[in-house]
Amino acid sequence: MSGAYAGDRTTGFASPASDSTEGPIDLSAALDLQRPNRYPVRVVGDALAARGILHGDILIVDTAARPQSGCVVVARWQDQTIVCEITRQGGGWWLRSGKGQDAQMHRLDPAHDSEVWAVVAALVRTQV
Amino acid sequence: MPVYGLIDANSFYCSCQRVFEASIRAVPVVVLSNNDGCAIARTKEAKRLGIKMGEAWHLVRRRPELKGVRWYSSNYPLYADMSRRMYQVLESRVPRVEPYSIDEMFLDLSGLPYDLPTFCRQLRHEVRAVAKIPTCIGWGPTKTIAKLANGIAKDRPELDGVCDLDREADRQAVYRELPIGEVWGIGRRIAERLQRAGIQTIADFVAMDSRAARDMLTVVGARVQSELRGQSCLPLSEVAAPRKGLACTRTFGRLVDNWTDLREAVSHYATTAAEKLRAEGMTASFLTVFIQTNPHQKDTSWYANQQSCGIEPTCDTLVLITEALRLLRKIWKPGYRYFKAGVMLDGLCPAGLQAGLFQTRDPVKSSRLMDALDAVNGRYGRGTLRPLSTGLDRTWRARQSLLSPAYTTRLEDIMEVKAW
Repeated sequence: MSGAYAGDRTTGFASPASDSTEGPIDLSAALDLQRPNRYPVRVVGDALAARGILHGDILIVDTAARPQSGCVVVARWQDQTIVCEITRQGGGWWLRSGKGQDAQMHRLDPAHDSEVWAVVAALVRTQV
Repeated sequence: MPVYGLIDANSFYCSCQRVFEASIRAVPVVVLSNNDGCAIARTKEAKRLGIKMGEAWHLVRRRPELKGVRWYSSNYPLYADMSRRMYQVLESRVPRVEPYSIDEMFLDLSGLPYDLPTFCRQLRHEVRAVAKIPTCIGWGPTKTIAKLANGIAKDRPELDGVCDLDREADRQAVYRELPIGEVWGIGRRIAERLQRAGIQTIADFVAMDSRAARDMLTVVGARVQSELRGQSCLPLSEVAAPRKGLACTRTFGRLVDNWTDLREAVSHYATTAAEKLRAEGMTASFLTVFIQTNPHQKDTSWYANQQSCGIEPTCDTLVLITEALRLLRKIWKPGYRYFKAGVMLDGLCPAGLQAGLFQTRDPVKSSRLMDALDAVNGRYGRGTLRPLSTGLDRTWRARQSLLSPAYTTRLEDIMEVKAW
């Protein structure tokens, strides 16, 4: 709306803040959602609860970032799109499940249906 | 010397579907036109199964050999957003980019301090990594040559998605092999006319006397010839020219034979056209409404008609609905089964430019109402608040029985990832 009041245009006393309004915080800018490499995705399941990622969370993932060992990534594994940890061991990259001691490992091999799709960059939880 | 590039997405709509579904990365995928009518995009696996462009879905869907094909309704919000991502990736690397169509973009590669083949390969990789879309790139000294190079990059897998026609000698070799019909701007009819005159290959056409080419094909053909000779005539345009008119026309999901449904559909199209108008900050001063029965259905009687009128420049949904329905009433005839209708707006002008001398409506009141309407729909989704004349059940709406989620533009539709 054109005439929205933002703390600036008062009718009686001139607002001392009229040159200083900044508007509300824009989370989409904070999360860089306008950039072509940013995609929001929704988490299904609680396997990454130990890393603070819960069922229903929105993850902002980045398709331009390079994965670091130990970070959380979205990956293609056979016919699925999963979110899990990635780790570097013995000269290769591995996807590691989030189940603590009994963690399973899958070797990443882009030639065989497994590749990193994006790196998890931020988390949004709309209900706490 | 200018260098133009053309980057083009492979089976763009299908590739967009594949970005968000891991299970279809290697299976044949087909995207259908509005109303789930016919095939408008096919992956190479689908082409290999013999599915043709424009093939009617209802005729082929049950063929046993097509059992493994994944069919999709067209999901334009998704394709538009993926096209935006592709453009942004290019724009961050190339000085000037022209979005020529939803899936192809011209690039100004002139004077770049890089080795072009290496640079273009990197561009492809970056678009693939960030926007997840596979592409091909071709380049040369003119747009027409870039377009030709792009086609070659696509047709010859051994080139690995890039084709360089910047050197005269490389062009000569290609020109001798390719028929004239492969060139951008040479349609089937012109190609036939040239063939009758003994012009078969691009090389024949390039060697033709310029005056003879112009006499035969007008100035448009002469321009194609100059471009093929390496003289650039078509500059890069980074923004689309302002529209002269806009339209909202659709085929119905089923045949419509009663006034109520037709009235709803035309109201809905007027509403959509008015939204587009406001999104571009324009008003319209000329309105056309048309209706028609199915021209391909030979067993029923055929009818088509249209009416136009000048209107006070406006972008008000309610005014446009009123005017459109007034026109519809004039052309509506009972007893026919209608197949398609549309609303077209012309005489577009930036809003607020003309203070009408004989204005009969209050422009401030109208623009406030429209602002409120757009604000509600912007916040809660398209069509949340709309005139009742556009109908409630709207059973005439186009079929989209195979529609995928709007993965990148609606929060409730974003891709799900399984925590592992």
